[in-house]
Amino acid sequence: MCRTGGIPEPAGAGGEATTDAAFSALLEDSPEDLYESAPCGYLSTMMDGTIAKINDTLLDWLGLHREDVAGRKRFADLLTIGGKLYHETHFAPLLRMQGELRGIALDMRRRSGGPLPVLVSAVIKHGSEGEPLLIRITVFDASDRRAYEKELLHRRQEAERARAEADEARRQAEADRARLADALAVLQRSLVPDSLPAVPGLETAVHYHTASPDQLGGDFYDLFPVAGDRWAFFLGDVCGKGPEAASLTSLTRYTLRAAAHHDPDPASALSTLNAVLHERYTGDGNPRYCTCIFGIVEPGGEHGRTVVRLASGGHPPALVLRTDGRAEYLPTPGGLLIGVVPGAPIGTAETVLAPGDTLVLYTDGLTEARIGSGRDELYGEDALHAFATEHAPAAPREVITALTGLLEGFGDGLDDDTALLALGVPAAPSPMSPATSHTS
Amino acid sequence: MNPLTVRQLDTATGPVLYVAGDLDFDRAPVLRSRLDQVPLSPGQCLVLDLSGLAFCDSSGITALLAARQHALVAGADMALAAVPANLLRVLTLVGLDQVFTLRPDSSAAS
Repeated sequence: MCRTGGIPEPAGAGGEATTDAAFSALLEDSPEDLYESAPCGYLSTMMDGTIAKINDTLLDWLGLHREDVAGRKRFADLLTIGGKLYHETHFAPLLRMQGELRGIALDMRRRSGGPLPVLVSAVIKHGSEGEPLLIRITVFDASDRRAYEKELLHRRQEAERARAEADEARRQAEADRARLADALAVLQRSLVPDSLPAVPGLETAVHYHTASPDQLGGDFYDLFPVAGDRWAFFLGDVCGKGPEAASLTSLTRYTLRAAAHHDPDPASALSTLNAVLHERYTGDGNPRYCTCIFGIVEPGGEHGRTVVRLASGGHPPALVLRTDGRAEYLPTPGGLLIGVVPGAPIGTAETVLAPGDTLVLYTDGLTEARIGSGRDELYGEDALHAFATEHAPAAPREVITALTGLLEGFGDGLDDDTALLALGVPAAPSPMSPATSHTS
Repeated sequence: MNPLTVRQLDTATGPVLYVAGDLDFDRAPVLRSRLDQVPLSPGQCLVLDLSGLAFCDSSGITALLAARQHALVAGADMALAAVPANLLRVLTLVGLDQVFTLRPDSSAAS
């Protein structure tokens, strides 16, 4: 080695002296020392793998003595069992075929401690006739790199496990949601019937609109037989929303059913409900109440005339569409919200339905729907009366269809639950059993 | 949407609460918890002045009924003053105009 003129001279005499000393040291670095103390392992083997030459660096890494290795061991002897296998099946055949290999990952055996992960490159040296003479091998310590790769692999496995756990949690949440939706649907059916029973001599139709699909509705209705040939029906609206409203609805529905069987008088049924709700809810400073209209109907009277007796507690008046094209409200004045005060007054009304007449019960979602461009006007009872007059006469199913269309027309102006129930005497009594329709 | 504000004025006959803004499902609990902190003695009259009330739904009506209950438990009376026309219509519809004592304004309380 010698200095070349291309290297710039450091400024100052002192700097020049130091640099010269460094170069002198390099010049003393003999090729022998470079080989023995190189920062990588070197070894040369015969074509059968017998080690001919090995440097100090590699002996030091493996904890071996030169006299135990040179001429006595083969390269494969320095490898772990796994490394040996890989050497036999891949390394040696590939090397013979290609004449060289680069950066092959192997594990070498150390006399003490675990295996030494290394990266091995090898080349075959050929003679002047092209015949293979020996194999030169360089060995790089890959402990840090292998540790780094292991860490990467570990991190990836952790990330995959975390993702799998998140997927599982999501699946679980979806299953829970589905189960909850099923439970809500069952509860909802306990609040309002799926379908109405067929009533001889009457046609019925119903519609229920829930403002929010995941909330249990606060409106309720029912129709069921009581003593004699009479049928009881009711429709109402509990205060509040959600599960609390639903539990109140449940109490209300089953109280009214029981009360109607005990005493099929509309006002008595509502008085019983008032007593039950007042007793249940007033004590804890959390008043709960409902509006409700309750009726008893006895179909099949002379000439198809059917008497309907109604009682109401704070509920909007029922509407009748007459067969002659008129529409009229059946006011039940004096009735009070159910459950607020003990012994609340109940309003009553009575009417006769002739063939072709239809009675309509509704909750205030209909009359309190917001209309107008600013959504600041209420639809109101007058508009409903005009709408009914326009459609009279109409059978229950026609009325419900028309009102359902009206509700859809309100769009987002309809922000409350709305229940509609219609009962009517068929205009031309047929020998067939009357149909019951249920829309939702 | 208007926030709900409740301002209290103590008079010789009892406290007057000026309830203003929207009394709906979300804000009714504000009035209800406020009512719990209003001390009442037997013979006093709790007045809710609703002249500033912009909106009231069924939860709001529940809060008004709870106020009435609170007064009755304390042996006091309770009245609604300056009830807006819209609310008066609903109260009449459900028969509550027979339950609440209604006054044209809260000054009648003194």
